[in-house]
Amino acid sequence: MTTRTTFLFALCIASLVGLLVEIAVPVGPANANKDPVTPQQLKAYEEAFMEQVRKGDLLFHGDAATAKQMNVILTNTGMACAMCHPFASDTHPHAFPKYQVSMAKFATLRDMINWCIEKPNQGEKIDSDSDAMKALEAYIYWSNTGSVLVPGRY
Amino acid sequence: MSELNRERREMVAVLQRPGVRPDPSLRITRRTFIHRSCLTGAATVAQTFAWWPLLNTIDVAYAAEQPFKFAWVSDTHLYPKSVNMRFVEKVQRAAREVQAMNPPADFLIFGGDLAQLGRTNELELGVEILNEVKIRKVFIPGEHDWYYDMGAKWKQLFDKPNWTFDHKGVRFIGLDTVTRGPDYWTVRKMSPEERMDHMATLDGSVAGPWAGVGRDQLDWVQKTLADWDKARPVVIFSHNPLYEYYPPWNFWVRDWREVNEVLKPYTNVTNIHGHVHQVLYNEIGTMRSIGMLATSWPWPYAPEGVPKLTKPMIRADPGDFYDGVGRSEISMKNDRIENEYIMWGRKEVFVQSAPDSSLSQPEILRPRIADQLGPY
Repeated sequence: MTTRTTFLFALCIASLVGLLVEIAVPVGPANANKDPVTPQQLKAYEEAFMEQVRKGDLLFHGDAATAKQMNVILTNTGMACAMCHPFASDTHPHAFPKYQVSMAKFATLRDMINWCIEKPNQGEKIDSDSDAMKALEAYIYWSNTGSVLVPGRY
Repeated sequence: MSELNRERREMVAVLQRPGVRPDPSLRITRRTFIHRSCLTGAATVAQTFAWWPLLNTIDVAYAAEQPFKFAWVSDTHLYPKSVNMRFVEKVQRAAREVQAMNPPADFLIFGGDLAQLGRTNELELGVEILNEVKIRKVFIPGEHDWYYDMGAKWKQLFDKPNWTFDHKGVRFIGLDTVTRGPDYWTVRKMSPEERMDHMATLDGSVAGPWAGVGRDQLDWVQKTLADWDKARPVVIFSHNPLYEYYPPWNFWVRDWREVNEVLKPYTNVTNIHGHVHQVLYNEIGTMRSIGMLATSWPWPYAPEGVPKLTKPMIRADPGDFYDGVGRSEISMKNDRIENEYIMWGRKEVFVQSAPDSSLSQPEILRPRIADQLGPY
């Protein structure tokens, strides 16, 4: 009995190894050739991020040309986000997601951005996955780089 | 050590020497409300529960010969009616309320930033609305009023940006802290609109440290006070605070050291200022300083530099346009001056617990960058 069990176990292991080899042969080589990240790549990634921060900064500060270029109407009152949130202060991106009293619901930062656009600014809500939303989010997070994560905090 | 920290240390060393405070006749008055933290004996008297502004009043020895009141309104940031009626309605409310004060105010001081972008129609709209107020009105400029046409319209409407008068035993001085900004526009060939847009962005980096009093005006203050008893009350109105709170937003005057030198001999100086759109209290040397609410919108406290003597105001509800904003009524009775914040949105002006304060969530913020990238 013991011999039979050992044999079956060995057979299972062999089958499993065979299966893994079969999967690894077509997939493996592509992953195996990864190179360490280069300074040039890092610079490119950083630039891609900072370009969004720059756009978000301009949108946040009411730059009409950027809003037009990105096809959004963030305000109809002359108010810009930065008028209540200089340096993106009091946006508290590090506290989201949380229960947001003003919306009476569990909300993300993107929900809050749209609430501000629609209520105080009386602008037009933007698509949650739009370029403008990503840029605004990038600027707000970048501004708060040093703040400590406190998700859920009032 | 950052430049900001270095300056702060210097300010403490220079101005907050042991034993130097405003006139010691400061007393708690009936208008003071006792904060819960005092009643319960809570000793957490850190920034959030700092103890001075638990009293919303100030006493000034040897003050008014007759009791009187005056009213403060500022930072209305008017756009034309076609752009924004919300701000217009709040100024109309302030004007109605000031006119209805009983007993009436002897005068209204408007503390600057009547307009948002300094346009003629914005300034004229402000004058039109404030015509509802029939008592004497005096004005000092804010940066939003000035940098579109370099004060041409403002001076036409309100004459000089600084002035002084004596009223019932108090010497009042209106200071101009906004018109001596460094020229950032000529070399960049900016249009008046572009110049104004940079000045109108609180957290912009192009306009730089524009808030200051200037040597010429300090000499004028010195001369103005030369014949005044050093123990008698002086009230100085300014748009910016006359100390250093947060330079990146020009919550200061850059020559606060010189201001202090001029005011040092006078033991009873009260500075009442706008620009910050928030409740503030500080003591610098022998001067006490009070920040006033805007009618337009409130600003959160700066990420650092809030005076430890400030009892913070509540965190405003952004969905209620009348929250966190308002005006002030200042009474001078016998030997004391009392400031009452009229915040339209709620009864309790000051935070009652930490979560009510924007300071309860510490933020570490970066200055903006995009306005440095061009097109200039």
